[in-house]
Amino acid sequence: MNTDILPVSIHAKRPRIPRARAGLVLAYALLAVMHVPQDVLAATGPSIRLFPTTVLEDIRQTSQVAAAMESGLQDIIARLDQQLQLYRESRCEGNEEDSGCARLARQLGATYLEMLNAMGEQLPDMEQAVNSTQVSLEKRLRKELGQKMTPWGLQELLLGNGNGKSTATPRPSLRGRSGMRLSDRFRQYYQLVAQSGGNNGHSLAVIASDIYLDMQETAELIARTREEISRAALLEQLNQSFGVITPEMQQVVAGVKSILFGDPEAAAPVAGPPPGSEEQAYRSPLAM
Amino acid sequence: MNRPTALATTSRMAVGCLLALSMAACNSFNTRPGDSGANCPLPEHQNLEVALEAAQESLQAGCAGEFDAYLDSLLTIAQGDPGPENRERFSEFLVWSTEQGLLSRLQAKALYNRYFSVKFVSMAGEYNNCALSCPRKHRLLSELETELADKEIGLMKVSGDQQGYYRADRLYQELELVLEATCTACSAAR
Repeated sequence: MNTDILPVSIHAKRPRIPRARAGLVLAYALLAVMHVPQDVLAATGPSIRLFPTTVLEDIRQTSQVAAAMESGLQDIIARLDQQLQLYRESRCEGNEEDSGCARLARQLGATYLEMLNAMGEQLPDMEQAVNSTQVSLEKRLRKELGQKMTPWGLQELLLGNGNGKSTATPRPSLRGRSGMRLSDRFRQYYQLVAQSGGNNGHSLAVIASDIYLDMQETAELIARTREEISRAALLEQLNQSFGVITPEMQQVVAGVKSILFGDPEAAAPVAGPPPGSEEQAYRSPLAM
Repeated sequence: MNRPTALATTSRMAVGCLLALSMAACNSFNTRPGDSGANCPLPEHQNLEVALEAAQESLQAGCAGEFDAYLDSLLTIAQGDPGPENRERFSEFLVWSTEQGLLSRLQAKALYNRYFSVKFVSMAGEYNNCALSCPRKHRLLSELETELADKEIGLMKVSGDQQGYYRADRLYQELELVLEATCTACSAAR
């Protein structure tokens, strides 16, 4: 699920965070990485092990929790959609005093509360899974890239070989740069890892960094979201007495929908240059 | 007391004007004062081969202190006729500079790779990233950005190697991401 959009949606007035895809969508993407054959993941060179079994197990756990959250919310979201549509078609907006409209509004509010409760129940598990993945990846990054590598070694790892020649495989788009949805990015990661087999430590370093930073951001947002849910639930309980459909409610529903079903307005990635060709034949005696 | 002071001021102004005039004259001929007062004209011929020869003559004739200005000038001239052969010409020029004792081998390597290699010389270092890169991450990223601009000149504008420059740009972005994650992980242990 996408947790980072939730607190924003609940407040409704705040601008939405553009990179809001970290939850359920992330989980499926992580699942893709998890399914990479062990021998492929192990073949990242003798000294670089960014995705050992423990990290993969944490990712799998995160994926399962997120999937459960998605399935738990999907029905409620569908119901909310129907109720909101009925409310609009009945021309209740601006006509809240009508008894039929007030009843519809209370039903809508009750379903909205149900959604908040479902999220509130699932978020602690999600938080735990994300934190666990974050911690295990953090250890690997610190050990493998931070402590076992020099800056020059890191650069060579990212280049994929010792002479700066490019690999034929396309690289994954980078975090926060392409505007690409997280699921698409992780699909690329999976393809890269699964197809390149062997010398792909360079890509795995990027993937590990990407996941780690995403997890860190997600963990912070989950914590904020849990606080906001409590607040929003209280406010909605008060609203139930008056049967008011607030803009905040509508925006939360829209936000949760975009978490589950994707955001059609997400910016398309800017096309990058094609994978680099071989360097010029000339090689200087000064080349490092 | 005032009179001598005023005189001295007037004299200094006159000397200053003369210096300014002579510097302006020097600039108009695109020359620089070299070692022991040698006249150091920067190469103006737009043919790189000819410009390289002229630069080598001047550098041998007491203008070694102006090496950076000569290199900049040659890079500018080379941009007028980009091509992969320019990379070899600059390599030979830098090797010649080490043979003449103008540069150390390490300096020549650093200069060549700064402009003509995908790899970043700013990432040199013998200690691990947690100890070396992370404490100076912001400065390092700034140096990488500056070096990327030099690679744009060397790879793209001088050598016509667009793919090489794109790879360097990509590497820069990946380094930025991986350093951010790695340094966050390093600092979390403290």
